[in-house]
Amino acid sequence: MTGLANDLASMIPLAILVAGALTLLMSEVFLTTDRRGYQAGFTVAAALVAALAAVAIPPAGRVFGGQAVVDSFSAFVTATVCAALALSALVGAPWLYARGAERGEFYALALFAAAGMALLACANDLLVAFIAIETMGLATYALAAWMRRGRRPAEAAFKYFLLGAFSSALFIYGAALVYGATRSTLFSEIPRASGPLLAVGLGLIGAGLAFKIAAVPFHLWTPDVYEGAPTPVTAFMAAGVKAAAFAVLTRLLVTVWAGASDGTVKFGSIIAALAVLTMVFGNLLALPQRSVKRMLAYSSIAHAGYLLVGVLSAGSALARQGAISAVLFYLASYTATIVGAFAVVGALEHRGAPGEEPSDAWDLSRLSGLARRRPWLAFAMAVFMVSLAGVPPTAGFVAKLFIFRAAISAQAYGLAVAGVLTSALGAYYYLRVVVYLYMRAPEGEEEPALSPALSVALAASALAVIVLGVGPESVAALARAASVIGQ
Amino acid sequence: MNSPFLLSIAIFLPLAGALAAAFIPAAERGQHRAIALIASLATFVVSLALYFGFDASAAAPEFQFETKARWIAVAGIGYHVGLDGVALLLVMLTTALTPIALLSAWQAVKERVKEFAIALLVLETAMIGTFAALDLVLFYVFWEAVLVPMYLLIGIWGSDNRLYATVKFFVYTFTASVLMLVAIIYVGTRAGGTFDYVQVRESLQAGFLGSAERWVFLAFAVAFAVKVPMLPLHTWLPDAHTEAPTAGSVILASVLLKMGTFGFFRYALPLFPQAALHFRPAIATLAVVGILYGALMCLVQKDMKRLIAYSSVSHMGFVMLGLMAFTAQGLAGSVYQMLNHGVSTGALFLLVGMLYERRHTRLIAEFGGIARQVPWVATAFVVVTLSSIGLPGTNGFVGEFLVLAGTWLGRLQGHLFGQRVGAPWFAALAALGVILGAVYMLLLVERVFFGPVKGERDAALSDFSLREWLVLAPLLVLIVVMGLVPQPFLDRTKEPVDRLLARFATAEERLRGEDPLRPPATGSLPPALTRRE
Repeated sequence: MTGLANDLASMIPLAILVAGALTLLMSEVFLTTDRRGYQAGFTVAAALVAALAAVAIPPAGRVFGGQAVVDSFSAFVTATVCAALALSALVGAPWLYARGAERGEFYALALFAAAGMALLACANDLLVAFIAIETMGLATYALAAWMRRGRRPAEAAFKYFLLGAFSSALFIYGAALVYGATRSTLFSEIPRASGPLLAVGLGLIGAGLAFKIAAVPFHLWTPDVYEGAPTPVTAFMAAGVKAAAFAVLTRLLVTVWAGASDGTVKFGSIIAALAVLTMVFGNLLALPQRSVKRMLAYSSIAHAGYLLVGVLSAGSALARQGAISAVLFYLASYTATIVGAFAVVGALEHRGAPGEEPSDAWDLSRLSGLARRRPWLAFAMAVFMVSLAGVPPTAGFVAKLFIFRAAISAQAYGLAVAGVLTSALGAYYYLRVVVYLYMRAPEGEEEPALSPALSVALAASALAVIVLGVGPESVAALARAASVIGQ
Repeated sequence: MNSPFLLSIAIFLPLAGALAAAFIPAAERGQHRAIALIASLATFVVSLALYFGFDASAAAPEFQFETKARWIAVAGIGYHVGLDGVALLLVMLTTALTPIALLSAWQAVKERVKEFAIALLVLETAMIGTFAALDLVLFYVFWEAVLVPMYLLIGIWGSDNRLYATVKFFVYTFTASVLMLVAIIYVGTRAGGTFDYVQVRESLQAGFLGSAERWVFLAFAVAFAVKVPMLPLHTWLPDAHTEAPTAGSVILASVLLKMGTFGFFRYALPLFPQAALHFRPAIATLAVVGILYGALMCLVQKDMKRLIAYSSVSHMGFVMLGLMAFTAQGLAGSVYQMLNHGVSTGALFLLVGMLYERRHTRLIAEFGGIARQVPWVATAFVVVTLSSIGLPGTNGFVGEFLVLAGTWLGRLQGHLFGQRVGAPWFAALAALGVILGAVYMLLLVERVFFGPVKGERDAALSDFSLREWLVLAPLLVLIVVMGLVPQPFLDRTKEPVDRLLARFATAEERLRGEDPLRPPATGSLPPALTRRE
């Protein structure tokens, strides 16, 4: 295969996702009954096939004139995003069904978003990255507004849309400035230029991406949006959007750093400051939260901080491979953990009429004494919390181990120390959840039985968290193989 | 018998029991108790095979029952386990005390028996793994894995103030340990990307860490010092010990605290001997202050469990002092004292737990003159007390004597009221702690068991049941046996102690002698510079 055929073949995973979305939209037109049970299953199948295609098709390298790079790195991220999509769809089906809000459009939007994320993972050009961000963004804005009749979901979606549009504007403006400095939109041209125009342009692009990954001080939208959006959507956003945004950030920065002739780590101190701020404030602000969803939102901010430590460690040529593979492993393990945690939240939510969520819908007390009523559900939540806290033997520990190992190889000792100390802070609020699960008497009404789809999602993510914690070798080796960027 | 799998079986047998228990309905309390007891007893039998298969002679390899397997090879982390004599004895302590703790909770724990069995078994796996690990990351994994089941044990089955105590326990120990993780990664990275204990120790032999060695040592030392616990990092202990259920207190005092001193013995001291020499006076001083402070605090306690908790601070101070003596007697005594404290303090917590089950109070003032109603309980309590205060003929005497003798012989230097003082001062002040120990323990016995009977409630107490005899008898026998025949135990500590001493000797040599990087003190220029003239 050569030329165009080769370029198109490299986009098969994307095509599968888009085709899946279009098929679902079409099927909705011809639907005569209200039976939509097939839709989630179809979405899961499309996601899994796309993930399989991403992994199985040999990397094509630079395609479309270098505007995209399809390598093991993008394949790993695509597979992670597809896993997030599949798990979220399994969480979403019973959640939506119980609220009478299951429609084909929901899954189609999720598939479109995933296609945007997959494209973002291979973007090697500012415009391609922008198109991918917008594809992902518009679909997720709509998903966040899915339960639009409630006050909170509407607020969340509006906020997300406004700030998302703002961050896109920053990104495209930065891209324009970079184009002015380099006469190209390709990532690979950036290291050849220099000067204030380029610096401002990259700074604006960085700010735009910092919104997407929710780094402090660009995090203000996160708690409201995460809390207001439908829980399955929150799960998908927390895992998928984060993975895709970190993928493009990593590719962009590594291209800039690797191309620098003198080996300087541009923006190193700025990213270090962002990382420390994000870790400290993410964890501090999570401490007083009583709403589990809000707590998880702040925790996702904190985790962006640890990922930033990993990205920054890639600045040192010696530590680069280890750092990129650490980021990839972290994204995979975080996906399993956070989708699982939100799945539990979704399973326990009050089911009022659409849009009438009581204020304590996600209060910690919903978890009170869960271990007595539903031992396995409580155990799964405890596993997710322990993993988020980074306590062995869970995926979260191994992921943090890799990140801090990369930081120390890059001689960023201060960042490593800040990272472990803030994660000790995190242990407090994650374990408070365990206190409610195991050490308090049950209160409130009995929660409904788990649907099979949700059970599958929970079992899969809990198993993944434990397997990645006990036997991480195979995934770590995959991440290692995927850690070469820029060839 | 020296099968490479035997040790791994001992590590994971309890976990297998926990898995089996997980799939049995929670209502089957009897089955859960049975599974936990069988699994822990089977682990004890396996550990007996380890004990008798162990070769304590000087010609034997340093680590026995070694297993090496791939684990996270991309990061240089392997599954590497093995035992030296000290680790062997601590594994024996763990496997012996877990079934005892379980049996002690047979009736005290009536609710959520399933979770109790699972937590205790998972805890046992993590504890054995901590002592057996020969890979720094594997060690850290087991070390941290201990926290979650212990957290649950205190938080679910503890007494009134349990939530505060358990969160304090977790946050305290977790925070102290994470810096050790950074230190472990640093050491592994500097050692060429491997975390294998033997290889890391090998490459650290040259002392190439330079000025970083002190920081790395401190990171390890703080993590271990919290666990020991050493003053001033001990404040989690009185709360955790007091609020934990009896079984939790027993495991906490007998095994968990030993993880800290074992950490010093296995990791902090042999890996960074020069830094250890540097911080030695400070640590020894803290140990002595801990001995006296713990003993003084005991004098004013109203709650029996809290008293024993503070006595742990005092006793663990002896262990630390023995380690800091850097002499054969001190180190051997320190290891012996680890075992003693495990046996005696475990027995004390068991006895207090039995009294609590009868009277539902732990306040000393509520008791009085109960020796007449429960003569056997009183007898056992007196025997354990005598062991705890180190009466000759009991195990406590052997340990304390060796520690004090070793301290006296060591070359410790410290400051007291602005004066430089030598090792005898440390020994003398520690001996004062022994006397105070006798005072508070005998006062406790006197107030609880002798004197006038306080009330009618005490008149109807029942003596040991058969189960309680089964729980206590092994410990009482151990107290006497270890007091009269210490040699088999000391034999097993000899090789590890000698190896550690040899490392100290080399480190002292290096400190006293040259520093290859420093120019000669005589002022003569290096050859490269002289030639230029």
